[in-house]
Parts: sequence; structure tokens; C-alpha cells
Amino acid sequence: MLVYTVRRVLGTIPVLILASVLTFVLIDVSGDPLSELRMQQPPPDPSVIELQEERLYLDRSMPERYWLWVTGIGGNGDIGLLQGEFGPSTQSNSYDIGAQIAERLGVTLRLVGAAMLLALGLAILAGVVSAMRQYSKIDYTLTFIGFLALSMPVFWFGGIMQQAGVTFNDLVGTQVFATIGDGLYQAQGEDLWGRITNAFAYMTLPTIVLMLTSFASWSRYQRTSMLEVLNSDYVRLARAKGLPNRVVVRRHALRTALIPLTTVVAVGIAGVVDGTVLTEQVFQWRGLGEFFVTAVNENDSYALMAWLLLSGVVVILANLVADILYGVLDPRIRYE
Amino acid sequence: MTTTDQKSNEGTTPRGTDDVVLEVRDLSVTFPSDDGPLPAVREVSYVLRRGEALGIVGESGSGKSVTSMAIMGLLPKNARVEGSARVLGQEVVGLRDEKISRIRGNRIAMIFQDPLTSLNPVYTVGYQIAEAVLAHHKVGKKAAMDRALDLLKLVGIPHPEQRIKQYPHELSGGMRQRVVIAIAMANEPDVIIADEPTTALDVTVQAQVLEALEAARKETGAALVLITHDLGVVAGHVDRVGVMYGGRMVEMGPVEDVFYRPRMPYALGLLGSLPRLDEDRGERLTPILGTPPSLLALPTGCAFSPRCPMARDVCHEKEPRLLATDENGERVRVPVEDTSAHTAACHFSDQLGETAPEDLFRATSVQADTVVKLDAAEERAEEALDEISDSDTGSTEESGRERETILTVKDLVKNFPIRSKGLLKRKVGEVQAVSGISLDLREKETLALVGESGCGKSTTARLILQLIKQTSGEVSYMGQPLHTLSPRQMRPLRRDLQLVFQDPFASLDPRMTVSDIIAEPMRIHGRSNSDAKGRVKELLDLVGLSSEHGSRYPHEFSGGQRQRIGIARALALNPKVLLLDEPVSALDVSIQAGVINLLEDLQEELGLSYMFVSHDLSVVKHIADRVAVMYLGKIVETGTTEELFRAPSHPYTQALISAIPLPDPVKERTRERIVVTGDVPSPADPPSGCRFRTRCPKFADELSESERTKCVEEPPELIDRGSGHRDACHYSKVMELLSASRS
Repeated sequence: MLVYTVRRVLGTIPVLILASVLTFVLIDVSGDPLSELRMQQPPPDPSVIELQEERLYLDRSMPERYWLWVTGIGGNGDIGLLQGEFGPSTQSNSYDIGAQIAERLGVTLRLVGAAMLLALGLAILAGVVSAMRQYSKIDYTLTFIGFLALSMPVFWFGGIMQQAGVTFNDLVGTQVFATIGDGLYQAQGEDLWGRITNAFAYMTLPTIVLMLTSFASWSRYQRTSMLEVLNSDYVRLARAKGLPNRVVVRRHALRTALIPLTTVVAVGIAGVVDGTVLTEQVFQWRGLGEFFVTAVNENDSYALMAWLLLSGVVVILANLVADILYGVLDPRIRYE
Repeated sequence: MTTTDQKSNEGTTPRGTDDVVLEVRDLSVTFPSDDGPLPAVREVSYVLRRGEALGIVGESGSGKSVTSMAIMGLLPKNARVEGSARVLGQEVVGLRDEKISRIRGNRIAMIFQDPLTSLNPVYTVGYQIAEAVLAHHKVGKKAAMDRALDLLKLVGIPHPEQRIKQYPHELSGGMRQRVVIAIAMANEPDVIIADEPTTALDVTVQAQVLEALEAARKETGAALVLITHDLGVVAGHVDRVGVMYGGRMVEMGPVEDVFYRPRMPYALGLLGSLPRLDEDRGERLTPILGTPPSLLALPTGCAFSPRCPMARDVCHEKEPRLLATDENGERVRVPVEDTSAHTAACHFSDQLGETAPEDLFRATSVQADTVVKLDAAEERAEEALDEISDSDTGSTEESGRERETILTVKDLVKNFPIRSKGLLKRKVGEVQAVSGISLDLREKETLALVGESGCGKSTTARLILQLIKQTSGEVSYMGQPLHTLSPRQMRPLRRDLQLVFQDPFASLDPRMTVSDIIAEPMRIHGRSNSDAKGRVKELLDLVGLSSEHGSRYPHEFSGGQRQRIGIARALALNPKVLLLDEPVSALDVSIQAGVINLLEDLQEELGLSYMFVSHDLSVVKHIADRVAVMYLGKIVETGTTEELFRAPSHPYTQALISAIPLPDPVKERTRERIVVTGDVPSPADPPSGCRFRTRCPKFADELSESERTKCVEEPPELIDRGSGHRDACHYSKVMELLSASRS
């Protein structure tokens, strides 16, 4: 098992390197960070542009810049991933990309984590119920909800949820749901109970919005996987042994049906991270999604690279965890 | 564990009802379907006494498995079960799941067909056995595991202390089926239902597993319901047998009665359509014409009447009841508890008498005025063949002289690399699938390549066709070295060398019409459309289908018909050689006989040469001129069919022949057996010297220490023992295992 894990971890290194190259090249060729400056009317002084080019290292060749971006050797101390620096920002001299990310990562992770857990839990529940009662009313209802959720765009559904939250608040007369902001400022100085109610108020709606598509696709997946296992020979044998139905379902069906879901969830993390861009925009959270949107607007290439690389790392790590989990869950994997 | 005192009367056969452990009465199962209710089982009744073994035989769709699943309460919820089934007097039909799960696995246990899928891959085998104990007994986990260990010993698993901690994928198929048997035995049930327990296993392993089942049954005194399509397995292992057809029990009685004096034409036909090891080649099989009925459109009257040569008006009108025949030839009702009675569901069971199958189910239309009603399709095939033989008289002339060799294989080797899982995919070993095989195929002969799964027989066929490239060695066809040709150069030669696949369901594109499927090879080889159209018609006739079948799709056909389509496709380009890769192993017995006969006719009339790849020695004995027996990538014995079966000299061939169950209760129970132990070793790491030595009964029991050294160190060569009969054994000795006539 240890050998397997070590092998998997080592296997991610070349993938990480490849991801960094792709990230760098894609952003680098996709636009000139100084295009706005150059287009200004009246044209700015060439020395101003030159100064900016020098600050953003645009005066060097692409391979040089990649090397600089990764190692920071030959830079001004504001660049070099290995030194913990993400590079200079176009937005202002004082905009520290690394510090920004560190600040916003917690905000986004809170949302992503909650949404993932909720989506996974509900998807397993819905999938199992659907499979156990195939072609029943509840199966059809869950199927309908699933496809509805898949087909609703986040920005639209987000708006609806906000409206619903406001309406609910009006109805009960107090503010149960907050519809704007991440609530971190408001939570400062509160006691534990205060922080819990604060989290509930601010997180409920965005979490529901963010988890919706993942829940829908995972529940469909879990249903199929569960159906396959329920019709398998070994579940039939488990029944033939005389095990009570609930034991058969829990121990033999669900346990095995969860194995393929780990891969789907690992791949699905990318979707959830992407989803934060829209969700944070709708609910005006100052998380990584908002960071990304600002970076795009400001043509801030080093910030974009940082965001992309970070998403890439999250996906790679998620897959690594899924691979290792797979080894734990399925004894056949370790030996093959 | 708990009921040992009840089981002490094992062996005695009292006539009362108190020793009845399973009583099934008028059990019917109906499934809803889009095309209306599907009656899978209709009014089946039988009783099973303590310690007794009852066989239930029937072809696919006969309802034999569904009956048992209904008794176990394992059918899907939408199934409608009527009638009654009592286990130790307690009604189980309609029982709620919590109640029936107390009986399941405790008083009545079941063994399923496929050992590879019957065990949960994520739990150890010990856990899965212990689970069965814990489900019915309040004992500790430790005690349950101890019991699991005892059970593993009981079913003959070597090194049970290690095996108990292993996962199912670490065990071979035969070992896994033993584990399933151990699970069934865990609570010392009164009844065990074994549903095709050995169908998925190789013959030598089948023999071992059946032995384990017997041993386990002896230990617990359980009664057995053995469901199988294999009449040989039934003949050797049960006291009574029931024959099912179209969802009904159509014949039932003591095993000798049913095998030697069948009273139902279907049972007679089934016996006649079996190729048999204990009969000489040359006798034509007598297939039952037509196909088993669709359960959605059962014929009125007797379900077998459309296929029955004896059928008269009453058969098409009234469904016969399961009755016995008394001394006066009257059909009389007997109580279902009378387990010595021989009953049959046929209006004319009294008239069947001593009829031989070939008298009733004649395979040719020569006697047009007899009772034999030939299927229209079969007739067309006959006519088409007659036409060809009229126009092509040259084909039979030269049978007298020595046949020319048309296909030669020399020292063929194929190793598949095993690669590491990492990024680098280093080669870490080799699977030696084929290790130096030499063969010749002569004109118009059938050469059979036999062996168990994994012996490399199918790989050899693929190598010959150059579908995969050999590691080394030569393949030449009519003097042309195929192994040196590029795919483009190979193409014109492919016309002559065609392949028929094992699975008639997977080998036909479901989205193409039958005409398109058969015409495809001609299109690829550049024949015009109109040309191909005429040829498709001809081919359909040739294989016993009609030309209007051409516009249909494969799913509209039965397995046997599909295999005929596959054969027609292979014949489209007028090949000289057909490679038949297990062409009949996926078919039911009554259908299989028709396809075998067709292959024999085609060979005769078209002058084809066959390379027949098969694991089924009975079929091989029937169809082949020469046989090569393979074991772990090597040929261990080869010779004419007659010679090889009469006087096999390699211990592996002897074991194979003796492991095949004969469909004859007396012969099967009295014959001499050569039993091999263990499983086939991995071809990635074959034993040194003689590859068979690890399982060889001779090596284990007869040879001295010094003699063994030779087996370990020196791989035996294939040596001629006279008249072309060659074997690869240092200590080969001829042994006669079969007496060649039916008793």
C-alpha cells in the first residue's frame, strides 16, 4: 500500500510540471498585459511603457520568462513560484498576488468544501433511493429534479435563490438568509454560536447554488452504479446467504457501488472550482472566483497564471486522493 | 451445527412425507413484459427427500433457474409467483423478506453459475463465509472465522489458512466456486440448489468441483437440486431427474429410467442430439428441428408439438399432463410424493417404447413419407447442397488418395509482454501464450485444436490468420509464407482463410441487416452489388435460412440461426479453409447438433478444410479427422481422432477424456477416472521441463524420484509413437478409457 501511494505521489510530479508549462504558455500567448496602456489616447511616453515592460519582465523571451516565473532567478524578488512569489501584477505595484490568493483561498475553500460535502451526501442518498426503488414515483421525482438541476444555469438559479431568500426573510420578519457577501467580516468577534448562525446565514444559499450541478450528475451516476451492483451475482449470493435486506444493501451493494464514484467526484472538483467564479459573482463573495474575474478584466497575466495553476494543482491533488482512495476501497487495485 | 440429530437418518429412503425437505406444488412464475405477461414457469411440482439428489435439465429459457429462484425468494419484485413451495413444511412463497431470509442460507442454500462474479470483490473469502455463519447463528466473529476455515478444508482448498485472508480475485475460478460451495454449506442446510455450478469451469476443474460438492453433501447430508444443461453431469450425480421445456416439467423419474427409457420425445431428442464421447464418429447427430418456443407466444397444446415428429392433432390442441404409464400402458396420475414413478407429459408417452432417437428425429429428408416432418429451412439447405454437389462432382473423387497439406504451421511462438503499471511501462515479464507449435492442415480435413481455457488455442487460430503477429515461427498457406506478408499482400489470401466466431450474439453488427452482414466481405473484396445480392441468397439457402431473412436484423434470430448467418458470412468469398473458434459452444444442445451437421455437410459439398478450435471433446470426437491437444501453449498429443480417443497416451489427454461426463448413468458411474489436481499454472511462469508435471497424476503417483527428475529438467519432445500418433511425454503409456458402444 505504501509503495502504491509513493508511486502515485511521484507520478504527479511530471503532471505538475506539464500543468505549469501549459498554464504559462496559454496565458502568455493569449494577450498583451499592456495593450490597454499602449492604446491610451494620447499615447503615453515610450519610457512609461518601457518601464512597465521591464517591471513585468516583458522585455525577455518566453522561455526566459517561464524560467523566471518558476525559479525567480534573475528577477526582482517579486517573482518565482519556488520562492513563493507569483509575479508582479498589472493592477498596481502594491497588489501582491500571493497575499491576495492566501486571503481568498480560505473564503473559496469554505464554499467548495461545503458544496462538495453536501452534493456528495445528497447524491449518494438520492442515487441509492432511486436505485432501490427503480421506476417508482420517488425514482421519477428524483430523476426529474436531477435533470432540472443539470439544465439550470448558475447565474439564473443564483438570482432565483437570492430572491427566494429575500422573500423568506420578509415573510418571517428577520434576516435568516444573507444574500450578499461572504459574511467573514460580520463573523469577527462573535462567539461559537454566533459564528455558526453567521455561517448558516451566509453560506446556505451559495452552497446550494454551487452544489446543484454536481449533485445532479453524481446522483445519476450513483444510481446507475448502484443498480449495476444490486443486479450483480454477489448481491444475489449475499441475499441467498440469508442476510437481511438492509445489510445486503449497506455492506454489499453500497460499499462496492461507491468505488467508481470516487473517480467521478475527483474529476468533478474541477467543475466545482469553476462554478465558484459564477457563484461568487452572484453572491458577491470576495473569493478566488472574484479574484479571477478581476484578473481577467485587468489583463493581469501573472494573476491569471496563479489562478489557473492553483486550479490545476487542486485537480491533480484531487485525482491523487481519488487514486489512493481507490486503492483502499478496492483490493483488486493494489495488486494489479 | 444445530440440526445434526435430525440428519441421522441419511441414507434410508422411507416413503412417508416426513422426510420431505422440499415440496413444490403447481409453482408458476410470470414476469410482466412490454409484450404482455411472460410465463417463465408453469405449474411445476416436485418433492425432494432428505439426502436425495434431483437433477433438473433443460435448455436456456426452459424455466429451470427461475423455478429455483422463486423457491429462494430471489426473483425481482415484479415477478408474480403462484402455487406453493415448502421448505421443511414451511411455505416460502409469498413470505416477507425478513422471514424468508431466516430460511435462506440456513435451511436452503444456493450455488450460482459464475464463480467469478458470485463473490464480492472487496471482502476476503473468509469474511464472506463467516458472514453466512453469523447471519444465522449468534456466535462470535472468531468462532465464525474458525468455522470458515473448517469449511474451506471441507471443500478441498489447499492452504486454507492463507486462502481465508485472500480476496476473491486472488483465487482461480475453481477455487472460487469451492468458496461458494463452502458458503452454501456454512449452516448445514437441508437443501442445496446448485444452478449450473460447473458450466463456467474447465472440464478437469469441473470434475474437482463436483467432487467437492459431493464431499460437502456427504458431510452435511443435504439434499441437492442440480440444475444443468449438461446431461453428462446429471447422469453421474443425481438419483432422479426432471426435464423442463417451455416452462413446464415434461418428464421426471429415476435417472436410469429417463436416460434409457425416455417417455417424452423431447428427452429422447435431447439425448440423440448430443455428440458423445462413447460413440464412434460418423454417425450423424439427430438434431431437434426448429427452436425452443418463445414464452410470449407459446403454442396451444403441448409446447413441444411444433418440433415433435410424433405430434398429432391432439398435441396441438391439448396440453398433456405429467402422468405415469402403468403396466397396461394406461396413462395414470401418481402423487407427486411417489419419487419412484416415471412420469411424462406426452399424450403418446406409452408409444415411445424402445424407439431410438435417430428413428424418430431423422436428420435427412430421404424418408419423405415417414412421420418425420422436416423443417422447411432444413429442406432448403439440403436442396441447395444437392445442387452444388451435382454441379461440382470433382469434390468427392479424390477422397481416396493422400490429401495434400494446404496450411502449415511451424514452431509458432507468441509471447505477450506484461508491462509495469508505472509511467515507463517497462516490460516485466511475458505471457507465453503459444510456445512452439507445429501443425499441418490437409485438404478437406478437420483438424481440431482442443484444450482448456488459457491453453493458447484461440491465439493459435488468430496467429494463423495473421490477425496478430507471431513472436517467431512460420505460417504458410499453399506454399506462401503468410508470416512475411504485409497486410496489403495478405488481403487477397484472406478470401481463402475465413473465421467463424464463438459468440453468435457479439459477432454480428446489430445495426446491419443480415444481407449486409453476409455481403460485407464481398464488398471489401470488390464484388459488385448485384453480384453480391445473388450470392447472399445462395448463401442463406446454403446455411438453411431463407432469402427473406436477408432484410431482417440479427436480434430477430435465435442463437443457432445467428451462428448460421456467421457461417454464411465466412463462406461468402468461397474460402478454402475455415477457422472455427468454438462455433457451437454458446448454443443449446438441440440447436448445436443442427449446426454441427451443417458444418459437416458444407465440408463434404464445398471441399472445405476446417481448423476446429474447441474445449468440448465430445464435439471434437464427432467432427474432427485429426486432433491436437494443447496444454499451456504446447501440443501434448496429436493423432487421428479414432486413435487419440481409443488409445490416448499422454496423461493430460487421458485426464481430459476421463473428466468429460458421459450422458449415461451406468457408464458414468462405473468408468475409470484419471483425476488431475489443482489449476492450470500461469502461462507467465510455466513450470520447467514438462509443463503438465505440476498436475500430472503419473508424476505424482507412479514415477520414481529419478524418473521425475527428467520431467522437471527436460521438456518432452513430441515423439511419434507410430502411425502419426505423437505425444510429448517421457513416460507415455496408452490407456483405453472408452468402450465404443452405447449400452
